[in-house]
Amino acid sequence: MSSEVAEKNMQRKNRTLNNSFWVRGGYFDYQTLFIMIVIVLFGIMMVYSSSSYRAVMSGEASSYFAKRQAMFAALGIVAMIIVSHVNYRYYKKFSVILMYMAIALSGLVFIIGTASHGATRWIPIGPIHFQPSEVAKPILIIYMAHACVSKSSLLNSIKGIIQMVILPGICVVLIGKENLSTAIVCFAIIIIIMFVASPKIVNLVILGLVGVTVAAIAIFAVGYRGDRIDAWLHPETSENGFQTMQSLYAIGSGGLFGRGLGESIQKMGFLPESHNDMIFSVICEELGLFGAIAVIALFVMLLLRFRYIANNAPDSFGGLLCTGVITHIAIQFIINVGVVTNTIPNTGVTLPFISYGGTSLVFLLIEVGIVLGVSRQMRPVE
Amino acid sequence: MEDNKSDLFLVHSMKRLTFFVVVIIIFSMVVAVKIYMLMVTGAGEYGEMAILVQERERSIKARRGIIYDRNGVCLASNKPVCSISVIHNQITEPERVIEVLSSRLDMDEAEIRKRVEKVSSREKIKSNVDKEIADEIRELNLDGVMVDDDYKRYYPYSTLASKIIGFTGADNQGIVGIEVQYDDVLAGTDGSINTLTDARGIEIKNKAKTRVEPIPGNNLVLTIDANIQTYIEAKAMEILHKKSAKRVCIIVMNPQNGEIYGLTDVPEYDLNNPFELNVELPEGITDKEKQDMLNQMWRCFPISDTYEPGSAFKIVTATAALEEGVVKEDDGFYCPGYRVVEDRRIRCHKVSGHGPETFKEGIMNSCNPVFMDVGLRLGKDNFYKHLKALGLFEKTGVDLPGEATSIFHKQENVKTVDMAVMSFGQSFQITPLQLMRAASAVVNGGRLITPHFGLYVTDQNNNIIDRLEYEETDGAISGETSEKMKYLLDAVVSEGTGGKAYVEGFDIGGKTATSEKLPRGNGKYIASFLGFAPSDNPQVMVLVLIDEPEGAYYGGTIAAPVAGEVFKNILPYMGIQKHSVEDNDNDTEEAWVDTVF
Repeated sequence: MSSEVAEKNMQRKNRTLNNSFWVRGGYFDYQTLFIMIVIVLFGIMMVYSSSSYRAVMSGEASSYFAKRQAMFAALGIVAMIIVSHVNYRYYKKFSVILMYMAIALSGLVFIIGTASHGATRWIPIGPIHFQPSEVAKPILIIYMAHACVSKSSLLNSIKGIIQMVILPGICVVLIGKENLSTAIVCFAIIIIIMFVASPKIVNLVILGLVGVTVAAIAIFAVGYRGDRIDAWLHPETSENGFQTMQSLYAIGSGGLFGRGLGESIQKMGFLPESHNDMIFSVICEELGLFGAIAVIALFVMLLLRFRYIANNAPDSFGGLLCTGVITHIAIQFIINVGVVTNTIPNTGVTLPFISYGGTSLVFLLIEVGIVLGVSRQMRPVE
Repeated sequence: MEDNKSDLFLVHSMKRLTFFVVVIIIFSMVVAVKIYMLMVTGAGEYGEMAILVQERERSIKARRGIIYDRNGVCLASNKPVCSISVIHNQITEPERVIEVLSSRLDMDEAEIRKRVEKVSSREKIKSNVDKEIADEIRELNLDGVMVDDDYKRYYPYSTLASKIIGFTGADNQGIVGIEVQYDDVLAGTDGSINTLTDARGIEIKNKAKTRVEPIPGNNLVLTIDANIQTYIEAKAMEILHKKSAKRVCIIVMNPQNGEIYGLTDVPEYDLNNPFELNVELPEGITDKEKQDMLNQMWRCFPISDTYEPGSAFKIVTATAALEEGVVKEDDGFYCPGYRVVEDRRIRCHKVSGHGPETFKEGIMNSCNPVFMDVGLRLGKDNFYKHLKALGLFEKTGVDLPGEATSIFHKQENVKTVDMAVMSFGQSFQITPLQLMRAASAVVNGGRLITPHFGLYVTDQNNNIIDRLEYEETDGAISGETSEKMKYLLDAVVSEGTGGKAYVEGFDIGGKTATSEKLPRGNGKYIASFLGFAPSDNPQVMVLVLIDEPEGAYYGGTIAAPVAGEVFKNILPYMGIQKHSVEDNDNDTEEAWVDTVF
């Protein structure tokens, strides 16, 4: 360790930490806020563009989906600001109870859940359909970050690691029963938080390999999931390649500058889930290569910003919270654009902040609120 | 908080996180490159495939070419009509649509309901709807009802040359006659409007449309002369009624090049209503029987049916005999009214017999024993050789669909009796047009022509873009024989059985025929006359054919006068001059000299 880094660490160590539950003032990362507002507004716009045809076809106003998305976005932004004022260290107190709650909710889906697209993923609360797996993600982040800080010695042995992941593991299995894609994201959150926290890497590599193998078997070998590989390699001929082909048609029609906002043809009933998993195809078709690259750049900027906050977090817990949020957003982003461009096999993951989906948007914004909460207490050392 | 020591985010954690973020960024770049490949380098591929999925084509009908007679008289044209179709998904008031369409279009409600309720991108309800009715429907502005402009074939002279011209179907495609024979000339190429549609095939508003203009069909000029055609149809109808005949055919052709000036097979039918029978519909008729009757009505007898030509075929026998040198004009024969060939006694039409006569007189008298003798002298091999040379074993190649061809005994099966009978035109079948083609070769110096109707293909501005050409083969017979035959056939009209075809001031050659229809003895005949004029240089050949006349049935009695009237009317019309005054003077002088001495 160079003397410069040692000096920085000394400076950070000497800081006193805020103990109040409500944190006023302090540093606020306006850059994150700015990027977030841009992405969320852009998302509402794209949801409107990609869903208006479907809305009209199902007898609703053309802005039906966009209005709902905007409503959730407003709710989410408010929640984000509130959460950013909460002293993130208080989450430690609730991490275990939240974990049990997440497991309970994930189990509850099987009892009172409503089905859609052949999978039971929603719990109805009044007019709103609430998706427990979206709630589970921030809880997993909090739980894992806390576990890695408070029981860091467990990370040194495989046995310890297994012990640490028992509770989240149950939760992921429950989610995975109905929604493999979300389970993969959750699994990635768990692994990456431990990967970042653990001083030793060997155990994690072993566990990671085991996990990837299990996931690979789950994806490739089991029933219909095997067809997805065929659809990935030969979308033109595979009978399951329809969605992929429609997505490729959309992207292929985009060109450098796209057809123009609102001008997508593929959203007119050709592209399934055009406002949801496949919204990135519509972005490509309407806004072209430049629009697509701009979206990718926005996400990269957001991740770099979060990494900056993590690296300057006042403590390890804060840094790991940021790590979890980064993982969540990054993995979903990568899987989504990977699927849409047929870079990886098809699996249903939404594009964070942009795809239509209220629960997902609100809880993602709450996660951003957590990161902003960490940033309030950071002392950037420049 | 119990734990308010600052445990720093460890340096290795920072490195790990950075590593993860870098991996994500690299993957993002991979995806960006993939997008670049899909959008820019591979855009052709997927973008074009997308257009195939997204575009719907709507055709714009091409105007069908006009059919003219040889003088530019329009025989087949187009009038604007509309076609009406429905788009299931755009219909908002299905009951009203069904009600309006069934009442205005006079169609079965259940039939329309079926199409309205069918989930398809576009369902056609009716074509060839009158423009006024279509405009009424258009003005109602019913959602999902499409009214498209179209053309309907229109025949200004309705029945004129119906068996030649034929008609078109609902989509303006030729069905019979010239309309189908020259369909590719007349049809043109439909244009199209390509529109982007959503997944259900509905046009997306405000999207650019690509339009391919239709190319109108070319026009066709026929060899038919509307005046001649009108005249022969009227003449044929007159005879049809006078003789209560089943049908009367008159064909007028140029024997030099095969151009058909007129061809009628009455009764003709109304081309504007080709599915209405031209006779009273018998009661209790099945659909199939009605269809058979329609097919009969559309059928062009002189081309699609064969008959026994009878004595008119003596032209061919005589030609073959002269070519082979087995007979000369002055050779003597004797007709006792019959000839016994092997074990059979074959009658002459003159039961009392023609007595002693030369070959020339045999032709003039249409004497069967003379031709039996000649035929037997000729022998079947020579006979068949000349039948072949005169094109009687092949189709004429006329440019109408459905041409029939001759039925002859196999050469090796022809027995002496068969040969004797064939020599005067019995026990085989040919089409009237085959007879005309063979006879044309006999009188035009031996050139086997192709009878035809198509003259030119012209463009929109009536500029000729294609002169239609037909096969001609010289040398079917020698010029010498041809000259001799013209002379002999002229004698048939001027002095023989064809006398009733004589027209003062013109030299007309020809041959009568009376064919008894099979089975023999049923009293049904076809009376016919084949004539040509002027006999020394034939410009026009006429075949008159009266099928099942009542009363007198001899060709020389009933068909020859018709041919005479046709000649009398069309020769001056065609600008063929009567004998010069000088010739006439000579004739009278000779007559005068005869009288003196």
